[in-house]
Amino acid sequence: MKVCMITWEFPPRIVGGIARHCLGLAKALVKQNHEVHVVTLDFPGVPMFEEVEGTKVHRVKIELGHPNFITWTLIFNHFLEKKIALLNQDVGFDIIHIHDWLTAPSGMASKHHLNRPLVTTVHSTEIGRARGLRSPDSYLIDGLEWWMTYEANKIIICSNSMRGELEDHFRLPPDKIAVIQNAIDAAEYSRPVDKEVVKRRYRIGPYERLVLFVGRLVPQKGVEYLIKAIPMVIHQHGNARFIITGDGWSRSHLENLAASTGCGDKIWFPGFVSDSELVELTISADALVIPSVYEPFGIVALEGMAAGVPVVAANVGGLADIVEHDRTGVLTYPENPESIAWGVNKVLSDPEYMRWLIHNAKKKVHEEYGWETVARKTSEVYEEVSRR
Amino acid sequence: MPDEIYFLCLLHNVGATSSERSLTIDEISRWTLMEYDKIRENLEKLIKNDYIHVDFSGGAERYHVSVNGIRKVLSMYS
Repeated sequence: MKVCMITWEFPPRIVGGIARHCLGLAKALVKQNHEVHVVTLDFPGVPMFEEVEGTKVHRVKIELGHPNFITWTLIFNHFLEKKIALLNQDVGFDIIHIHDWLTAPSGMASKHHLNRPLVTTVHSTEIGRARGLRSPDSYLIDGLEWWMTYEANKIIICSNSMRGELEDHFRLPPDKIAVIQNAIDAAEYSRPVDKEVVKRRYRIGPYERLVLFVGRLVPQKGVEYLIKAIPMVIHQHGNARFIITGDGWSRSHLENLAASTGCGDKIWFPGFVSDSELVELTISADALVIPSVYEPFGIVALEGMAAGVPVVAANVGGLADIVEHDRTGVLTYPENPESIAWGVNKVLSDPEYMRWLIHNAKKKVHEEYGWETVARKTSEVYEEVSRR
Repeated sequence: MPDEIYFLCLLHNVGATSSERSLTIDEISRWTLMEYDKIRENLEKLIKNDYIHVDFSGGAERYHVSVNGIRKVLSMYS
């Protein structure tokens, strides 16, 4: 099939998990003989068209701007829509596939303009991200999300926890939703890495324990609870060092909070880290903490599991699907620093337990979370909506 | 949200995301309706954190959001 995948982020324009998801899915669909065209926004220093392992990536320059984010979103969707209409003259798309509300307007318009089925992957919802609807922007985004799910011929979600959220909030019939779990390229996380060299880059000694956080620095990720847990971990493991990667609008607040714990010299905020560096850091870590308060899937848990790092994750959303407590990782109470400290201390204290978790986790990732499976199930969705 | 991050979002959303589309302080003021002193104060903080880059062309300093700045803005909405 000829697939038009529309996304606002695609590597190297990486913000959250959507960029990596789209790349992984597009490559896997190409391997299953689909022709995949990704239509996305431009990014400095990247060509406007390129082919990435068979996936055709079309980047669109946005010629107009507006100070208001949502108005800007509607404007860039107009440019995406124009590009899709032009591309369709040469390609003749069979399926339009969008990811989240940010590209919903161009996806919905293309559905009607090209008379093609629309598939929507909902990675998260506004009501979940913002933990309620409290501002006009939130209500507007929530409305767009409802409209997008109404227009979609089929909705793909990444975890069972999202099913209830969507069915309840958007009043969706169950058979309109397909759960297709996320995946990763596990082979990327099994490459040999000199952990001492990686640690040294962050001024961490060979006998110091590296506890890692990977994600956007926004309240949804719960980093403040990890930071509040750090003194309790240091109390038991004086050689623990913490790296909090990523960026986001709460970064300065979190840096101040880290300094206020009295353990500021043991916590680093390196900011945005490249993909290859992130793989090396993950492989070199002694524990990966995911303290999220809302996490529809939590691909970072899979990355940690594939890298052979014990995962300590909050018992929320998709994380509860991926991490089996005491078998493939440790689940902690959400928004609870004491529980996070307990989880980190548990894995750092017991090497045998750590090995048991790693063994089970690696096995689970290899058996259940490959892109080939995701692409096959996505193809089934494409076929289902095309038959109608 | 801190003032300077809100300001960074404004610059991003009006499209000042590359040197060809960079803006002078006059132009920024017209877009954002902010006073010059406030704009300078925000720009200083953002340049220090590598979220804004400065060019000098046409006899004036021109500002645009850097790659790190774009990621910072997008992280709010993804």
